[in-house]
Amino acid sequence: MKQSTTPFWKRLSYFGKSEKLNEQYERSPMDRSSEKVYRRRWQHDKVVRTTHGVNCTGSCSWKVHVKDGIIAWETQQTDYPSTGPGMPEYEPRGCPRGASFSWYTYSPHRVRYPYIRSALLSIWAEALAEQQDPVKAWKSIVEDPDRSERYKTARGKGGFVRTSWDEIHTLISSSIIHTIQTEGPDRIFGFSPIPAMSMVSYAGGARFLNLIGAPLLSFYDWYADLPPASPQVWGDQTDVPESSDWYNSSYLLVWGSNIPQTRTPDSHFMIESRYKGTKVVAVAPDYAEYVKFADTWLPVEAGMDAALGMSMTHVILKEYYVDQQVPYFMDYVKKYTDLPFLITLDKHENHYRAGKFLRAENLGMDISNSEWKTVVYDHDKDTFAVPNGTIGHRWEERQTWNLHLQDTDNGLGDIDPALSMIDFSDEVINVSFPDFVTVERKTFQRPVPVKKVTINGEEKWITTVFDLVLASTGVARGLEGEPDASYTNEEAIYTPAWQEKLTGVPAADVAQIAREFAQNAIDSKGRSMIIMGSGINHWYHSDMIYRTILNLVMLTGCQGVNGGGWAHYVGQEKVRPLEGFQTIAMAKDWGGPPRLQNGTSFFYFATEQWRYEDQKVDSLISPLTEKGMYEHLGDYNSLAARLGWLPSYPQFNKNPITLAKDTVDETANHIIEQIKSGDLKFAIDHPENPVNFPKLLFVWRANLIGSSAKGHEYFLKHLLGTHDGVLSEQEEERNTNEIQWIEEVPKGKLDLLINYDFRMSGTGLYSDIVLPAATWYEKHDLSSTDMHPFVHPFNPAIATPWESRSDWDSFKSLAKRLSEMAKKYLPDPIKDVVATPLQHDTKDEISQAYGTIPDWKHGEYDPVPGVNFPRIHLVERDYTKVYEKFIKVGSKVSEQIGAHGLSWPAEEEYDKLGRLLGKNKRTEDYHDLPSIESDRKAAEAILSLSSATNGSLAIKAWETLEKKSGQKDLTKLVIERAEEHITFNDITVQPRKVLSTPVFTGTETGNRRYSPFTINIEHMIPFRTLTGRQHFYLDHDVMLEFGEELPTFKPPLQKLTFYSQDRKPEPVENEITLRYLTPHFKWSYHSTYGDTLPMLTLFRGGPHVWLNNDDAESVHIKDNDWIEMYNRNGVVVARAVVSHRIPRGIVYMYHVQDRLINVPGSKITKTRGGTFNSPTRIHIKPTQMIGGYAQLSYGFNYYGPTGNQRDEQVKIRRMDRDEVDWLED
Amino acid sequence: MTSLDIFLWIVFPYISMTIFVLGHIYRYNKDQFGWTAKSSQFLEQKRLRFGSTVFHWGIIFVFLGHVGGLLIPKLWFDTIGITDEYYHFGAIWFGGLAGLAVVVGGFFLFLRRVSVKRVVKNSSPSDYVALIMLGIVVLVGFTNTAGYTASGGTFDYRVVIGPWVRELLTFQPSQAMVASMAQAPIGFQLHVTLAFVLFAIWPFTRLVHVFSLPLKYLNRNYVVYRNAKPYGTPKTKTKYDVSSK
Repeated sequence: MKQSTTPFWKRLSYFGKSEKLNEQYERSPMDRSSEKVYRRRWQHDKVVRTTHGVNCTGSCSWKVHVKDGIIAWETQQTDYPSTGPGMPEYEPRGCPRGASFSWYTYSPHRVRYPYIRSALLSIWAEALAEQQDPVKAWKSIVEDPDRSERYKTARGKGGFVRTSWDEIHTLISSSIIHTIQTEGPDRIFGFSPIPAMSMVSYAGGARFLNLIGAPLLSFYDWYADLPPASPQVWGDQTDVPESSDWYNSSYLLVWGSNIPQTRTPDSHFMIESRYKGTKVVAVAPDYAEYVKFADTWLPVEAGMDAALGMSMTHVILKEYYVDQQVPYFMDYVKKYTDLPFLITLDKHENHYRAGKFLRAENLGMDISNSEWKTVVYDHDKDTFAVPNGTIGHRWEERQTWNLHLQDTDNGLGDIDPALSMIDFSDEVINVSFPDFVTVERKTFQRPVPVKKVTINGEEKWITTVFDLVLASTGVARGLEGEPDASYTNEEAIYTPAWQEKLTGVPAADVAQIAREFAQNAIDSKGRSMIIMGSGINHWYHSDMIYRTILNLVMLTGCQGVNGGGWAHYVGQEKVRPLEGFQTIAMAKDWGGPPRLQNGTSFFYFATEQWRYEDQKVDSLISPLTEKGMYEHLGDYNSLAARLGWLPSYPQFNKNPITLAKDTVDETANHIIEQIKSGDLKFAIDHPENPVNFPKLLFVWRANLIGSSAKGHEYFLKHLLGTHDGVLSEQEEERNTNEIQWIEEVPKGKLDLLINYDFRMSGTGLYSDIVLPAATWYEKHDLSSTDMHPFVHPFNPAIATPWESRSDWDSFKSLAKRLSEMAKKYLPDPIKDVVATPLQHDTKDEISQAYGTIPDWKHGEYDPVPGVNFPRIHLVERDYTKVYEKFIKVGSKVSEQIGAHGLSWPAEEEYDKLGRLLGKNKRTEDYHDLPSIESDRKAAEAILSLSSATNGSLAIKAWETLEKKSGQKDLTKLVIERAEEHITFNDITVQPRKVLSTPVFTGTETGNRRYSPFTINIEHMIPFRTLTGRQHFYLDHDVMLEFGEELPTFKPPLQKLTFYSQDRKPEPVENEITLRYLTPHFKWSYHSTYGDTLPMLTLFRGGPHVWLNNDDAESVHIKDNDWIEMYNRNGVVVARAVVSHRIPRGIVYMYHVQDRLINVPGSKITKTRGGTFNSPTRIHIKPTQMIGGYAQLSYGFNYYGPTGNQRDEQVKIRRMDRDEVDWLED
Repeated sequence: MTSLDIFLWIVFPYISMTIFVLGHIYRYNKDQFGWTAKSSQFLEQKRLRFGSTVFHWGIIFVFLGHVGGLLIPKLWFDTIGITDEYYHFGAIWFGGLAGLAVVVGGFFLFLRRVSVKRVVKNSSPSDYVALIMLGIVVLVGFTNTAGYTASGGTFDYRVVIGPWVRELLTFQPSQAMVASMAQAPIGFQLHVTLAFVLFAIWPFTRLVHVFSLPLKYLNRNYVVYRNAKPYGTPKTKTKYDVSSK
């Protein structure tokens, strides 16, 4: 029979020709050509390795399949290097969200062309025709209130028209030039988060802005993802284990971190660890997804975690420090924590309170940096001793910055610090501690063994941190006068029974889990781990919550041990090739310093949220403090700015380019004189003055307005000047002392909001200009994370479609236009005066000894730049050269490169880089410098200049640390990989594991799993703190003022939904007030993916809030009903998800629910219901503004007040169907 | 007998039937994946459930009625003793009822197709053409039954249209029948002509699903294997082919 060719003919000729094989089977003569369809479906022309630049910390490697020039789909890469025998592997990584990314490429959300709002374009065209000069045209727009109001009020109301890159670049360059000429470059801002998710794209904008002198805004603290406890305790921003190290743990406490939901590709390590017997304990208020993996669930009342943490601390101290002494713990806390260090006690009425660390200077020791060297009591020699490794040792080059228990300064040799003063005490006295449990705060007293010393002729009592910790944790140690602290006594503070009243967690469970946690640490030598996350990190007092929990891992010797310690995962992505990235992004290769502004302070004032501040300092300070330094939280920020604690841009009320003199010293003197005479003022004190407004804001790789605008409606009202849903009114008490309060509230401060994105997000909708960005499948870039030790490349699967450009190219072309225009408007080099705060990891961190407040404002001190005043720098800016500098790596690299207080030369590497990247000779100058004109070359430069990816630099880095610490053989950690230079091609072929480097605190040597602080613990490298050890105690004046010298329990803020002056909506019958929480959603990462069709189909397809079934029933809300949710900050309209999974009293609105899809109008505001951030606002915390003091010194994204927004309450009411107005007419 | 009559009652029907037959073969060969009823049940269910059921049962009976009326000679009915009165009673009442079901169901489906947003978005022009053409043919036919025959019209399609159709199908068109067709009431002429237009577009619309009734499921086995190399595959001979030696 001839083979049939057509389907019809086959049909006819094979009809009835099936061969019966048995009862049920037959063999048909039909062929299998129809399968071709399915085979063709999965055939493709090429596969490209790339990743997703999304803020999820996943950094998964993906294959993107391209077919007929179209991105067709993506699948997970499976070729991760092995974790070795006996370990689960990393492959494959990826989640459903990531797998839906290709949807964006050709979606209706895609920004395809440059857009400008027609209201602005018509004004621009009009002005241009009038003035015949773009810069003058821009001036005529921003200086004309009518014109500027016209386009500012149009923000968020549509009306985009297509324009060209060329036209837009002229407009933006004109606005930049005008701003530099009038108010100064420090009025131009850039916001872009999480460099690790796409370093080159971050660097594109950052490099441009740094070259023109514009400040970058921080994000980690602004997002409230920064755990301030980490810099407080360890002097390190955040360093955590990679996820595979969870498998090394034998006891996992998971606390407010929804691993399967938010760390989807990593969660298998937790589950796999259970198969080898690891116990998993979940702490969560709701029946969260991770709770179902747990052996025990501690269902804690939302926000009360610190009570639980304190109680577990109490149990561990009682059972493992008082009832018995565990050698492993004793050894650990003496070597690696500040517990044996001595604290002076201050007289407080008729009792005592804890004060400052005792310093060598106090004891009259004649040694260098004596005011920065903290003291212990040597048990063996019965004398005071200064152990190596304190911050005083760090900033003198004597190779004594190490953790050896030796006193080199006094020549005491080996020492054995006494943990407690109990054996050396002169007396036992009552010390008072703050108790914040109730609104009317109280104190409690506990006896503490103390020793007498004479300081400056004054008799002082001293004791150890350990003694204070025991007493402040309410542990009975058999001293006279201690109240009964048995576990069942619910009156005794911090006992298990006491915490049960607050947290609802059974006392017996708390005692058992704490005991197991500690016992496991003994049995496994420190393999008890706490995975913690945003559930507990977004509170106002999150640092206190964290410190109570960190107690557990430090007291049990788990920190710095594989499989043990903290594991904090909240938006902290880690830039593995750090120095290279910082060089390129911060334009350090051309000098500097950059202006790096902490985001929270900036937005607090720029959006005028300070005017609505309902938290009074009096209700936050320690009961041991009579009166706060200020009444208004904002005033502390003013203090922080003028003492050089925090950055504050705009700097002064004058253009910094007008302040320059010939030399730095002259300039500094000039500024001090002007400040003293009152001619020059800090801009922060006058946020209402138009000169001090931020003028331009570039937002790229971010959804600032739709996603991270805590206090969303205040952003709209004051920063953007358009329609808003704010229901609050200014505080009636005008209680600022430093910040000028003017009745008139400014609106629409920003002249220009410019957004670069590949999708039309909430930010795009409110921007004046939206520029089309390349997606993650259309550019070269780098990504890394702390969840795994690999560096991943982005590679273009297709050329940038429509008119989109990679961020690198966008800013490069803007730089080019600006440089061209500068030839006319800013032809000569300009000296720009840059004021920077006192930086952590520089010698500036030992500027303000003893942690006092050397405030010069009222004449008690003299302002000295770099000591108690911001450091003053002179930076020469040649605006005609911005483009050429942008595309070349400057030669400063060869002199010095480094991070975290270590630096080394990179001459050979710089030379090699020039040969690797080639040189662009088409420019006027800088012919001999390595070219980074493309994103690919920039990526190569980052890899070449980092110790984590270039072996020769890693060797240099370790050698530097050897010199600094006096420790030997550190280069051993990387010698086996010294010749490796991981290039872009290498990581495109297969993921490569980074090299061990002292830039981070852990090591990967020998295919070991990364765990933080293992270098500190194993190689005796000090923590970058005051004592060089992990801190339980913080002695800065502001810490003492707010009662946070020791870990303690502070409940969530007392807040009302409305205050008397607010415009409260008419009350209705069925209304319920609930605590408002915004945890991370399952079907989006922040706002990314949440707007894709595949994800929208997975859950309700629009805004929704979760509430308890009984709460819902009490106000007649049924599942899927529309509800209105509101407080003084704004209104949300969403559907109700009614579930018994949520406990009573709280409501969840998963973030980020932007205002783009299926959002009806609100009855209250008459405008479209808000974003998840409409009911939120921020409150700043003074203790997080401290600076110039050891680990409490500023670092970009390292320290500074967090933009916390979690302590809110909301009211909820049901909306009838006919009340739902889609505002479509 | 004008040339128009020849065109209308001989040429055009043959053109239409040719397109109908070859069109189906062509479509079947070239568009296997397009050969579908294009169900929109996924997009809207409630209205479909009523409209589709009523329409389809109606159209099946209408089809059987046409078979009975056109393909079976009047003589056969006469022979088995079905009188004209009985026949007309059946044709009017059962045919009318089936016709009504088609009209009502079809109208309901039409409304659904133009008013349900999700269905509209997923409709192609061919769906509208098929639906409207089918609607017109049905409406005209139903009018003939309900408005003409039932109200006492004397034209008996069994002696004019029936034989004409059978002559066409047996390739023996006669002048006589063409002439009688030319004399038939305009309603019947219209119905027939439009029906042939419908047949001509049929293969290119979703109506092909009429031929996809999955009858083979009635007797197939649970598991059907297919040959990797079906019958007739020429044996590939290569120098490595051991079996050919």
